[in-house]
Amino acid sequence: MGRFSEVAVAGVYQTKQGDLSDRTQPSVWWESVCGACADAGIDVGDIDGLIGEGPQGVGLRETMPAPGLAEQLGHPVRFHARNTVGAGATASGLNLAAYAISHGLAEVVVIANAVAGKASGYASANRDEAVAAMAKLSGPYEYVYGTTRVSDYATLAMRHMHDYGTTSEQLAEIAVAQRHGATLHPLSVHGHRGELTVEDVVSSRLVADPLHLLDCCSINQGGGAVIVTSAANAASIGRHAPIVLLGYGEGHSHIDPNAVERLTEFPAARSAADTAFGLAGVRREEIDVAGIGDHFTIGVLMGLEDAGFCAKGEGGPFVEKGGTAIGGRLPTNTSGGFLSFSHAGLCGIFTLIELVEQLRHEAGARQVQGARLGFLNAVGGAQQAHSAAILGRA
Amino acid sequence: MTGYQKFLPEGIPETHRPFWDSLKERAVKVQRCDGCGAFRYIPKDICPKCHSQQATWTPISGRGEVYTYTVVRRAPTPAYQADAPYVLAHVTMAEGFRMIASLSGIDPESVRIGMPVQIAYTDVTPDWTLFTFEPAS
Repeated sequence: MGRFSEVAVAGVYQTKQGDLSDRTQPSVWWESVCGACADAGIDVGDIDGLIGEGPQGVGLRETMPAPGLAEQLGHPVRFHARNTVGAGATASGLNLAAYAISHGLAEVVVIANAVAGKASGYASANRDEAVAAMAKLSGPYEYVYGTTRVSDYATLAMRHMHDYGTTSEQLAEIAVAQRHGATLHPLSVHGHRGELTVEDVVSSRLVADPLHLLDCCSINQGGGAVIVTSAANAASIGRHAPIVLLGYGEGHSHIDPNAVERLTEFPAARSAADTAFGLAGVRREEIDVAGIGDHFTIGVLMGLEDAGFCAKGEGGPFVEKGGTAIGGRLPTNTSGGFLSFSHAGLCGIFTLIELVEQLRHEAGARQVQGARLGFLNAVGGAQQAHSAAILGRA
Repeated sequence: MTGYQKFLPEGIPETHRPFWDSLKERAVKVQRCDGCGAFRYIPKDICPKCHSQQATWTPISGRGEVYTYTVVRRAPTPAYQADAPYVLAHVTMAEGFRMIASLSGIDPESVRIGMPVQIAYTDVTPDWTLFTFEPAS
């Protein structure tokens, strides 16, 4: 086999999610990393690779997180790579970790995400400040008109409804299914609010037509980390079933929303999935559980279509009647996802962690029975960058 | 002095200025590639189709039809919220490319995909004029 199956997620950990404004980013980052190491049965001192952000600092400490981590660990870090693709950073981080490990550049690689403290801008715990900061991500040719992250996705949803007859009730099914998962996860931000109905979602206030409040993720803080090592190493420790990366693919298509032919179909998402499935030697119908970027319900619906789990335009019927729920045709974002579990920073890590727990058969009440193969689609921006990974129980 | 509280364009390179100047003149011009004739919007230094770095600022009809839209009810800042609900539209221009702007002069509930619209101009500060869309006359 290729190099992918030689590399495994050995440890995962998630902190309390929600408002961590009384803590610091380095504290939450470190808790996440130590927790994932403990879960893996690996000493934190054995970390020798870092993907993405470390304990935050300013100046050089921000631009070069690996030296700062090395200082904290007391030994050199041998590999660092950064992957600035927003919430999509997790799947691409796994690929970079696999590269480092399979080439002998590192043995124990950490990928972590932590948002905490009194950060400003879009990491702020202040919702209004975060919304305003994120609005400007689209650039001056859009933000001058008062675009938001929600409006970016709302325009996709509006056209999808026009072209394919997708309904608000179908989108709501996704939020309902994910909320159920969240009620079964003690760390979820919104699970304590209880189950949702389709009626709850479609009668919640419109944020940007046709997306309702409950079609949208909230903004919160939290931390999470995964430890990646060789499958052989994970197996010899024997704490959990090693969850191996079987295949991976990326697709980057456009940055201006007007540079793609249609806003209902993103060929880059398809090519990312095709590459990942091809390298893994896995077929769509073999996937037991999925994690698909869900900043908004429409993202899941289009993600399912673009990844090839159903034909373009058939996402609505696919998600009906609990299609993405635990026990449904393709359980998706079973912890609640960004919508109901947590939307903190590079939140794709939470999607990945849920897949790992499912494939380990350690998801408790959320467990998808007999899950052996998982699909992860991480999205950056408003469908501009995609990374897809196939994970499997070794 | 300006009391304008919404976002103004920032970081506009000199090479994009003719677009913004054309808005002040109320006669929108868009780059048209000298190499292949494709329109380039938003402005780009390099043509995505033929990679030519030459382009001519070319008047356009200002007319098009709504490709998709949304009605924003939760705006990014208080200044925008004061206008909510407001319509944002992606418009397929008669020349074949899409432009994004707010769509005013219509009840948000009446907006439909496919409806004909045209460009209008709004002087938001002495330095900046924005284009918007309005229903076609």
